[in-house]
Amino acid sequence: MGRSWRAGGSALIRTGALVAVGAMLRSCVSRLRTLAVLRGQPGVAPLPAKDPWSPRVNPGAGRREQEAKPGCVRGDPRSFSSEVIHMDLSLPNPSWNEDMRLLFDQFMKKSEDGSWKHLPSYKSKFTQRTEDIKIYFPGMNPLSSQIATGKALSTDAKLMKEKLSQAQLFPRSLEEGLGFEYAMFHNCVEDRIVCIFQGGPYLQGAPGFLHGGAIATMIDATLGACAIVAVGVAMTASLNISFKRPIPLGSVVVINSQVDKVEGRKLFLSCNIRSVDEKTVYSEATSLFVKLDPKTRLT
Amino acid sequence: MIRRGFQAVIRLGHHRVLPGAPHVLPRLNRTSAFGSSTDSLVSRFCLEKTDLKDYALPNASWCPDMLNLYQEFLEKTKTDGWIKLPSFKSNRDHIQGLKLPFGLAATSDKSDWRIFTRCLQVEGQGYEYVIFFHPSKKKSICLFQPGPYLEGAPGFAHGGSLAAMMDETFSKTAYLAGEGLFTLSLNIRFKNLIPVGSLAVLNVDVEKIEDQKLYMSCIAQSRDQQRVYAKSSGVFLQLQLEEELSQ
Repeated sequence: MGRSWRAGGSALIRTGALVAVGAMLRSCVSRLRTLAVLRGQPGVAPLPAKDPWSPRVNPGAGRREQEAKPGCVRGDPRSFSSEVIHMDLSLPNPSWNEDMRLLFDQFMKKSEDGSWKHLPSYKSKFTQRTEDIKIYFPGMNPLSSQIATGKALSTDAKLMKEKLSQAQLFPRSLEEGLGFEYAMFHNCVEDRIVCIFQGGPYLQGAPGFLHGGAIATMIDATLGACAIVAVGVAMTASLNISFKRPIPLGSVVVINSQVDKVEGRKLFLSCNIRSVDEKTVYSEATSLFVKLDPKTRLT
Repeated sequence: MIRRGFQAVIRLGHHRVLPGAPHVLPRLNRTSAFGSSTDSLVSRFCLEKTDLKDYALPNASWCPDMLNLYQEFLEKTKTDGWIKLPSFKSNRDHIQGLKLPFGLAATSDKSDWRIFTRCLQVEGQGYEYVIFFHPSKKKSICLFQPGPYLEGAPGFAHGGSLAAMMDETFSKTAYLAGEGLFTLSLNIRFKNLIPVGSLAVLNVDVEKIEDQKLYMSCIAQSRDQQRVYAKSSGVFLQLQLEEELSQ
């Protein structure tokens, strides 16, 4: 009886570890979750519950389409794992100032006829098909071979698992109102993304202004979203940012991004950051993103 | 709100009147405007006695690589002229008694503002870093360990976090090497992903100082230099801080 208990126990550990690994992988990738929303790619799981990241969904594709209300559920509810609750952080909260709310409302209004779509954004513990992500990052799974053989995790692996399970997507890892408050909207007709961004007090650089690195992070996030919506999973190869004017801390800016050119797996994107009234240009950037190839290891 | 962009400030150095400006800004005397020597900037920056918490000190979250390299450079601060830069919660603390020029100084003084690279204060969660600066060689080395809250791809640091770390290292180097204050441009080429919790070493060099601008380059690589994570270049604008008038 002791033996069977132990066997059951280790099976539990394996399952528990798998769930933890699954949760860990899911917890990171609000951008990369589009692996499951690649347009019509064979072998990819059906869309999870919320999926405005795939704007060109064909109504006749066999997925149940529901009315696109803000934050509403679309796609096959059976794929929705009820394991964890996820919150869309790209929705108004008390820290948003008036400018931010006004802009948000304007874009939501534009979304009513389907030409624009609000893109949700999650911090962690997102329900996702982990297998789809794993193929791109085989190198980050030294745990997986240990788990697969059923051995108990070594101390190093345990520490790493613990560390990784705390993971949060960087722009969403700060408390409400303190860091990056942003919402992205995809223009389905012109195929570009607009991000409204309010930088909080923990993003300071020169006293009273946004840190250049915080601006770079938002540019990277917005261009990344643009790349992902266009081709699926892509990663930043290079970023070229020109800062024209400093952005005051706490102000709201609008980041307009678009894909300029696609050459094979290379995507050339650009964006600019303007004030709400569009009269001030704060920054401009160009970048190169590379579409990931499942055959190529990244590590 | 800022009326004049950086381009306008640079044009000042060419003695042109700002278009549409209500008055001419004082001409910068280029020979002595940036005469604050690196040594005087460094001594003012590295306050001997202060109650402020220095975040650039080892803690339990630092990996062995980081601790070892830190000790190595600490030795070099005694023998080779390197200086360990303190890292406070806000840049305001670094420039006590000084303020931004040309009316750029923020009017309200909010005490909850924090420098971006110290936004996550739980040990090991976000940016763990320390910068060593060499005044005469005008070089910097930043030991950077990204924590799990800086994730992008699963298990690896977000590109934006490395961009921010590079910008921050450029910023401190530019300030001490030549009163550089604002980033004008950043160009980053990403080569490899940095695993969360591992050490990345950023080497920054000042290439040249010309036309009121500081040009710097940076390579981020693993400690053994076998793996290059990213290369970048940055240009900063030179602007002299003004003394804060005591009230």
